[in-house]
Amino acid sequence: MTSNWITTRAWLLMLPLLIVMIAIIGWPLVDTVRLSFTDAKLVGTAGGFVGLDNYVKMLSGANFQRTLVTTTLFAVLSVAAEMVIGVLAALLLNQQFYGRSVLRALMILPWALPTVVNATLWRLIYNPEYGALNAALTQIGLLDTYRSWLGEPGTALTALIVADCWKNFPLVALIALAALQAVPRDITAASMVDGASAWARFRFVIMPYLAGPLMVALVLRTIEAFKVFDLIWVMTRGGPANSTRTLSILVYQEAFSFQRAGSGASLALIVTLLVTVLAVAYAALIRKSAGAS
Amino acid sequence: MSALELIDIRKRYGVIETLRGIDLSLASGEFLVLLGSSGCGKSTLLNIIAGLAEATEGDVRIGDRSVTGVHPKDRDIAMVFQSYALYPNMSVARNIGFGLEMRKVPAAERTDAVRKTAKILQIENLLERKPSELSGGQRQRVAIGRALVRDPQIFLFDEPLSNLDAKLRMEMRTELKRLHLMLGTTIVYVTHDQIEAMTLATRIAVMRDGQIEQLATPDEIYNHPATRYVASFVGSPPMNMLEATVAEGIAHIDGSLSGFALPADIREKAGQARDVVIGIRPESLSLAPAGDAALGIDAMVEVVELTGPELVVTSTIGSQRLTASLPPKSAVTAGMAQRFAIDAGALHIFDKATGRRL
Repeated sequence: MTSNWITTRAWLLMLPLLIVMIAIIGWPLVDTVRLSFTDAKLVGTAGGFVGLDNYVKMLSGANFQRTLVTTTLFAVLSVAAEMVIGVLAALLLNQQFYGRSVLRALMILPWALPTVVNATLWRLIYNPEYGALNAALTQIGLLDTYRSWLGEPGTALTALIVADCWKNFPLVALIALAALQAVPRDITAASMVDGASAWARFRFVIMPYLAGPLMVALVLRTIEAFKVFDLIWVMTRGGPANSTRTLSILVYQEAFSFQRAGSGASLALIVTLLVTVLAVAYAALIRKSAGAS
Repeated sequence: MSALELIDIRKRYGVIETLRGIDLSLASGEFLVLLGSSGCGKSTLLNIIAGLAEATEGDVRIGDRSVTGVHPKDRDIAMVFQSYALYPNMSVARNIGFGLEMRKVPAAERTDAVRKTAKILQIENLLERKPSELSGGQRQRVAIGRALVRDPQIFLFDEPLSNLDAKLRMEMRTELKRLHLMLGTTIVYVTHDQIEAMTLATRIAVMRDGQIEQLATPDEIYNHPATRYVASFVGSPPMNMLEATVAEGIAHIDGSLSGFALPADIREKAGQARDVVIGIRPESLSLAPAGDAALGIDAMVEVVELTGPELVVTSTIGSQRLTASLPPKSAVTAGMAQRFAIDAGALHIFDKATGRRL
């Protein structure tokens, strides 16, 4: 069999998948790029070529800048909290205690739930009239009157971050727990004999084993948090007063609520670019830390 | 003052008792080897001494101070692990100095101590490297250095040489012996390798099923084993164990027609015992002409193996096996009947039922 035929056969075998990929990813992507240079509406006009107008309009608009800040705030705060809580949970679940395996299984639950279910659940908890959070805080005396946690611009974003944390810390915990179990028993024992305190043991002995896997978790979570849509859409739709509007929500509003397909497409591409930059930066970081260890 | 004292140490996991009352006392400067096959409880005992495991009952005393319930770091011990357990992210220098660092020893003093230790172990040129850049033998030296630098009362070694290849193992064995002679430290060393035990120890504790079978000097262990188990565990090839029946001073080897008259002192020790096990080290046997009148035994030669320095001859006496280590040029052929002379002074006799030396 000639190598030529082997190559041809390889392409033939990949062809069905390639066709599907081109149809559902390639073509829409190319079409989005095309759209972004037009003033097309979602319904009706096909739109004419407007050059970089959409990009300039979007990037210089106050909406975009404010949304970028909100998105960054959401991503940084929720991912940071998830990392800390996740590692703490993993350290706890790595201890010997009665009922540990049950707790380990239970911990996965929030992450395993569909986001929409999770979001609905938290909307009930935050409900201004009969929500559990209001009830709990009033009953222990921390709160005088019920508040609308999702209805006030001052608390809505925090409330969303809490919900996101609850859903996603299990993923970090799971990864950290796996990494913890890879720490050789002898190394921990050696550090005990060497006189390391619990903190020093974590900092100097355990952490180097966690760093690599946690970096992966950080990358995954940051990119996901940056693109967050469903959780916020179900809970606040970007409100109140756009205080929880993230980039994905803005894209949706631009393209579908305001039916401006052209500028919506340009915005979507800007978000894609930002996420790509993040991904590339993190990939470089991972490669660097892998090389160091 | 004893450096280490173990008083009736017991360890139970549920209903399983892995240590069943260990008592021993170690003088300062002794090199004690805990010898036994896997699962005999030797590593558990070491971990209990280190404080990494807790005894169910009993007391550990280090330098006349009870350390039961005391954290490993406060026991004044250092430990070398089988896997070396070096911190992979730290340089060799930091690995060695980590114990001092954690004890808040000033940096300058620490650097000094690390250099001195590295010099003793001849690893000064490796101080800046990471453990992943070291060979097995070098890692082992770093692990020993980490223990050495702290100058503790007792060193604990958990099978430290078992991950090394044969040649390196021999080198490191000599190295450890040299260190012990040079520094006069007190050492507890766990191994299943009887050669390591014989060469390194000032005393050996042979362990079996969570108990000390015999605690004695290597010479005593080899030449006067207290039980059949100790006798067969130490020595290579292992001691021949011939089941025999004694009647009127004559030992009849079970399953064969041969037998021999026991020397007077052994006959006395055997007393009224009838069912015994006679232990003969392979090197206590030599070739004898057929019909020789001196103490000896007839056997059928099955296999002859030349190992280099010796000729290992495996024969059968009825259903039992007899191994002899002979000089390499001995005239012996497989398939032939052969009489072996026995060194009368090297005959061991054990009670068949209890396994104890008579």
